[in-house]
Amino acid sequence: MSKLKTSKFGLGLAAGVMALGLSTAGIAADEFNGIGAKITEKAVEPWDISVFYDGTNLPEGSGTVEAGQNPYDAKCAMCHGAFGEGAEGYPKMAGDPMPAFIKSLKQGLDGVGNRGVNNAWGHAPTLFDMIKRHMPFYAPGTMGVDESYAVTCYVLNLGGIVPMDFTCSDKTLADVDMPARDYYVTDTRPDVDNERCMSDCYDYDPKVVGAVVTGVSE
Amino acid sequence: MSETTLDQTPQSDAREGVASSDRRKFLRKSVALAASGAAAAAAGNAYAGDVKLETVTEPLKPGATRNILGRGVVSVPYGMPSKFEKHVVRRNVSWLTADTVASISFTPWQDLNGIITPNGLHFERHHAGAVDVDPETHQLVIHGMVDKPMVFSMEDLKRMPSHTAIHFLECPANGAMEWRGVQMDSMQFTHGMMACSEWTGVKLTDLMEYVGVDPKSTWLYAEGTDGSALQRSIPMEGAKDQFGEPIPADQCDMYKDAMIAYAQNGEALRPENGYPIRFLLPGCEANMSIKWLRRIKFVDKPLVTYQETRHYIEPLPDGTIRQFSLVNETNSVINYPCPDNQMKGKGAYEIRGIAWSGRGKIAHVDVSVDGGKNWQEAELVQPVMSKCVTKFKLPFEWNGDEHLIMSRATDETGYVQPTLMQLRNVRGTNSIYHKNSIQAWKIEKTGEVKNVQIENF
Repeated sequence: MSKLKTSKFGLGLAAGVMALGLSTAGIAADEFNGIGAKITEKAVEPWDISVFYDGTNLPEGSGTVEAGQNPYDAKCAMCHGAFGEGAEGYPKMAGDPMPAFIKSLKQGLDGVGNRGVNNAWGHAPTLFDMIKRHMPFYAPGTMGVDESYAVTCYVLNLGGIVPMDFTCSDKTLADVDMPARDYYVTDTRPDVDNERCMSDCYDYDPKVVGAVVTGVSE
Repeated sequence: MSETTLDQTPQSDAREGVASSDRRKFLRKSVALAASGAAAAAAGNAYAGDVKLETVTEPLKPGATRNILGRGVVSVPYGMPSKFEKHVVRRNVSWLTADTVASISFTPWQDLNGIITPNGLHFERHHAGAVDVDPETHQLVIHGMVDKPMVFSMEDLKRMPSHTAIHFLECPANGAMEWRGVQMDSMQFTHGMMACSEWTGVKLTDLMEYVGVDPKSTWLYAEGTDGSALQRSIPMEGAKDQFGEPIPADQCDMYKDAMIAYAQNGEALRPENGYPIRFLLPGCEANMSIKWLRRIKFVDKPLVTYQETRHYIEPLPDGTIRQFSLVNETNSVINYPCPDNQMKGKGAYEIRGIAWSGRGKIAHVDVSVDGGKNWQEAELVQPVMSKCVTKFKLPFEWNGDEHLIMSRATDETGYVQPTLMQLRNVRGTNSIYHKNSIQAWKIEKTGEVKNVQIENF
């Protein structure tokens, strides 16, 4: 596609100018003429690090649970806990097992503090993506591919998802059976239907509940 | 002499006459509000009679600035607010996050009087801290299912047809701390994860036409160049989730308003808001408006990233986990009075507030002063624009009684802002995101204004 867009303004003005018998040079017919550069997908590759839920674009490499222990203890445990229990206000790696997590949901308790890879993560390949891209938190994106596979594997093992002898790789990660996978449902809000009542909307005295329990002190 | 009594000093009989004429009109409106239901009148909201004004007799003094020279031009090359406005700043809540680099700050809407958020007050949400990206070397790549993958410099983007629009951005966690009960004692913290700016940039659809996006592409994703390299999947027509279920059509339309923004309120983006460029996806939760944007890829399925499977999700009481809850639904709040703006004596006030919807324009805002039993439609202040903050106002005569005041917005799709009880019935009491319920403030007899929730409302 070379001529992609001709603005109405451009056309109209050009037609007017031609009626006067003048040159149309400089009046843009293509609003993007000469802007930007083409790039090959090969040239984009170093930036194209995104991994899909189904494992598409996982880089070649591998790491075992065992190989993940040292880097996890050195780079991750101070925030996420030696056993994935979380620390210093940072997220857990392993929360309640799925049945207990679902039970707490049914009681109306999301419990973000209870989320882990074993109850609120649908697909193992994007766990690798997160770790390779964003971790360790204080030096994001500095772990190698094999190291990231190993840490991914260690975290999956902390969540009881893969056995001690498992090897995480671009060949195996997509098939890891994540406990939460089938619980996800795409949003279809609105999920409530209030009406625009204007008068006598209820017939009792409103009862105020809840004083400020925490507040913010400056 | 206090400033209050100065403000009330009559300058002349003529002015007094105008004032009282205006006042009569004002009172008629106020009475209308009070009388909008019998219950409200019974609650004692009818006009309480003239409030006795003080009389100033001491001669006025010249004032501290009257006989000196002020500062010269460019003494402050980039202007700053008055030193008397130092309290109008972004704030954070220290216990909310483990650190300040993966954290959020709040816009002080209680001190703002328009629809535009000044750039220094736009809330911040970083996942790995704000970074300084050099526009001379920064590049934007657009690739994937396109005829020609391309790379653009910042100057390239500025040569293209520009697009300007005013839109709000809102973190889906706005109001999150109030799900279980009343928690925050300031409007800044109940509603400050939202800001509204004029944005200028290049329309995504223009760029799509230029690179020639394959019609089979049903998703795109955008990615930043900060430490988190934050990435979000954005649906287009025909998008399906990872299970093959269709994404609702209204969400698949949101990208049509998207732009690659380089200017905010006329100046370059601030570093905290993505300088030199950010993705801007009006109407959707603001984490999708990727800051420090480096790459857009057109694809045919969602990534289901960390943000989409672990972070911005809503586990529900029905035992499912809601994903791709992208749209910020209709919301509103009264910012005057509010816990930060208390009553200053009996008499005339104007109730003012802000309303916004990710699905389009605000159609109505109704105000109640009796806990939601009776409502009156407020005046919408022009302009009223799509996916933009709309200001509303309504005169109010306070006679010193207790009141439960609240606002309720309806957007152009007919969606009416819900009560907290309605949300809790569907999403539980311990949810996090997309809490857009009606906010009540209680005016005490003392004039104090408190954040409250109302039972079964």
